[in-house]
Amino acid sequence: MGNNFAMLMDGFQTVFTPTNLMFGLLGTFLGTLVGVLPGIGPALAIGLLLPITLTVNPTSALIMFAAIFYGAMYGGSTTSILLNTPGESGSVITALEGNKMAKAGRAGAALATAAIGSFVAGTIATILLAFGAPVLAEFALTIQPAGYLALIILAFATVGTLLGTSRIRGLVALSTGLVIGLVGADLQSGALRLTFGNLNAIDGIETVTVIVAIFALGETLYLASRHTLVKASVLQIQGKAWMTREDFRRSWRPWLRGTAIGFPLGVIPAGGSEVPTFLSYGVEKAISKNKDEFGKGAIEGVAGPEAANNANAAGVLVPMLALGLPTSATAAVVLVAFQSFNIQPGPMLFQTNPEIVWGLIASLFVGNFLLLVLNLPLIRFWVMLLKIPSHYLYAGITTFALLGAYALNNSTFDLQVALAVGVIGFLFRRFGVPITPLIIGAILGPLSELYFKRSLQISQGDWGILVAGTFPKVIYGILILVIIGPLVWNFKKTFAIKK
Amino acid sequence: MDIPQDNSIVSPQTFPYMVAAFASLVGLGLIVDVLRGKHGLPEGDEPGDPYTPLNWKTMAIVATAIGMHVILLEIAGYVIAATVCFWGVAYAFGSRKILKDLAISTVFAVIVYFSFSKGLNINLPSGFFEGILK
Repeated sequence: MGNNFAMLMDGFQTVFTPTNLMFGLLGTFLGTLVGVLPGIGPALAIGLLLPITLTVNPTSALIMFAAIFYGAMYGGSTTSILLNTPGESGSVITALEGNKMAKAGRAGAALATAAIGSFVAGTIATILLAFGAPVLAEFALTIQPAGYLALIILAFATVGTLLGTSRIRGLVALSTGLVIGLVGADLQSGALRLTFGNLNAIDGIETVTVIVAIFALGETLYLASRHTLVKASVLQIQGKAWMTREDFRRSWRPWLRGTAIGFPLGVIPAGGSEVPTFLSYGVEKAISKNKDEFGKGAIEGVAGPEAANNANAAGVLVPMLALGLPTSATAAVVLVAFQSFNIQPGPMLFQTNPEIVWGLIASLFVGNFLLLVLNLPLIRFWVMLLKIPSHYLYAGITTFALLGAYALNNSTFDLQVALAVGVIGFLFRRFGVPITPLIIGAILGPLSELYFKRSLQISQGDWGILVAGTFPKVIYGILILVIIGPLVWNFKKTFAIKK
Repeated sequence: MDIPQDNSIVSPQTFPYMVAAFASLVGLGLIVDVLRGKHGLPEGDEPGDPYTPLNWKTMAIVATAIGMHVILLEIAGYVIAATVCFWGVAYAFGSRKILKDLAISTVFAVIVYFSFSKGLNINLPSGFFEGILK
């Protein structure tokens, strides 16, 4: 524990160099920017900036990505409150009460409780991350390949079945991702799989291309397909973005409760950032003394979910750093960023690359602080951004996405893949298929095959090893609960209605 | 598929067959789901929202703009490809100030080209402007 504290201090030293601070600052700026702009989320923003991994050193680049990660959370709430269009999925709930508050002339208080709540939650959650992740990593060293396989299958099940409205559609997305992950030469034997004679496909499909195309091109095509000339109106902020003593009194408990809900649900993957924000909103509404205010602009309904959202983002980093298992689209992109520096997140990371991982964690603290001091005073600047005409916004996103897809390998093949994946992204959105399981499938699919093969090599081909030992059994037990639980619950509900 | 001779315990075909089996099961499940009348809910719609018909025209223009970028990039260079793409998407989304858009597209493309090729040392095809945009 004491050792970890010393490592964290070293991390702060890494962050407080002029170059790294500059990248951190740039990241908070870019993160807030993409959070504010509807249509670009943190996953896409980091995906678009991945080409910089070719020229920037790993520590600086990862510090910037971490800052983008948090910055997007802050920015998203601004859009939700002022425009009633969530900038990213974790801010959907914020729009409920926040936009009502803005309409009642209390935009300043809503923005302030969101920003300060995000800061409080982000700081507490980052402390938990700093001391929790190394412990988990140490435990993870004892996990056998079969145990890892079990963990990945559990991640597939939770991400595939808990996201979105339809379980079967989540699994459709997951299997599409798994197939994409298969393309290319088999790592061990060199056998070419699903390349159909195309030499460009031997190295496989770039994950970054998939992420950038499915978010940017898919979203643009989808919005184009539903294009009507209705304009959303941006609400003005009256007075300063600050809160009264009364607002504080009503906000601090929701902040803490939101953190307590958001963080654990990020560590154990429970279906993205929407679920904890919904839960937090539900809790605040249930225990509030001002129930009649909910739906008309209750500050608790902004404070809780915004805190939950940020704590969740930090929680997701725990399995990503300690186990190498991303469970959200954004964590998946950060994982790809690590991989493009030939660094594999996982239990060994804290030993092999301590300066990077502790620099990253320290930068989360610094980024959080920068966001708090920069964002409230700059709020009018961010509001100006909301007035960029949407046609230029989509034009910019599309062009940038194509650049991101091309710049990684300077290959036109990647652009063709991007176009195809963009069409998949459109179809998924049109038919209610969630996007994240596809990305998780494409990234973790190859990893699961690796662990699968390693297990069978250890056991000389005996499949029994896959369920041997306590750890895999426990994980598969949880898996069964995750699959059966909702079915039983649904059955009970239908039964109760029929009665 | 050509399978190279090797003595590994797990064939390179094993895992793909497992994925194929899983995907087929899921596919069957989806067919059953749709046949039982459960159509997917388009993103952004709430249950019970009226059906939004597809705007094929806007979509076709966006797809063409992206396609043009792919085709033009290595023939005409980044600046032209990006200008065409940016302009096309802006047009698709209802902007009709053709000259102003063209100016904005060009400035955008040139700034991106320079910041990536000079700032980040990422080479983008210079195309027609080889020699001028150095």
